[in-house]
Amino acid sequence: MKKLILALSSIALMATSVLAEATVNVVPTKVKMKIKAKEKEGIVKAKVSISHNMLTYDQAKKKGKEANFITHITATVGDKVVYDASTSQFLSKNPLVKFQFAGKKGDKIKITYTQLKGEMFFATKKIK
Amino acid sequence: MKKSILSLVAVAAMTVSLSATDYRAEKPDTWTAHDISTAITALYGNVTPVEGDIKLKAPKVASNGGAIPISVKTDIPAKTVAIFQDVNPEAAVAVFTVPEGSNAHFALKIKMKKSGSITAIVEGKDGKFYSKKLSLEVALGGCEG
Repeated sequence: MKKLILALSSIALMATSVLAEATVNVVPTKVKMKIKAKEKEGIVKAKVSISHNMLTYDQAKKKGKEANFITHITATVGDKVVYDASTSQFLSKNPLVKFQFAGKKGDKIKITYTQLKGEMFFATKKIK
Repeated sequence: MKKSILSLVAVAAMTVSLSATDYRAEKPDTWTAHDISTAITALYGNVTPVEGDIKLKAPKVASNGGAIPISVKTDIPAKTVAIFQDVNPEAAVAVFTVPEGSNAHFALKIKMKKSGSITAIVEGKDGKFYSKKLSLEVALGGCEG
């Protein structure tokens, strides 16, 4: 009996955790991004260009559109975070970011970015 | 016993998802602050950064204020790096978390409304704060669209 209760409670726990994740993490959509990642002597240099119009509040007001800009960019290799930036509206249009980290050839780098309203987009690329 | 294992697993899962810090969610005041000192206070609390060995690069005269390439590099073992400027409506531009095992070297393109200065703040692993300021001229403002 006790085991049954435990099992039940564990199932309930899992279900709630899954639910919580679903509400917090929006499923990212795959988009095209220009990514260059090259390894040399253990250091990977990465350049990422994202197509995004990065409308600030002022610009959006003038154009009669809604402000929309990237608020967060993350790069991961496997499950390791190699780049993490919280950004504001003052990144340029089609922002270009460069960074470097310790890594190796053949790994896959995944770039994820979040917009103002929480939509997420991602792209992957093999490290050369 | 089973429960304790379960809770341990849950805690582990939580820490994994927390490894990427979203400073927009955690320190919302930083992004609405209108000048640099208020933004720094909102982000790090009451700190007095000292001039440090940070290489902050930007063109002296930027022809296009809509995309100014800047780069920040430091050999100081850093936890976070923040970039601010003082001419746009809000001061904060970006906050980077330096991942474990790599050094801080970031480059990005930013927008600036008119001539002004950029400030980089580095939060060292030793708990100290370092800063570097750079002023530049902008020929054509980049915030009007």
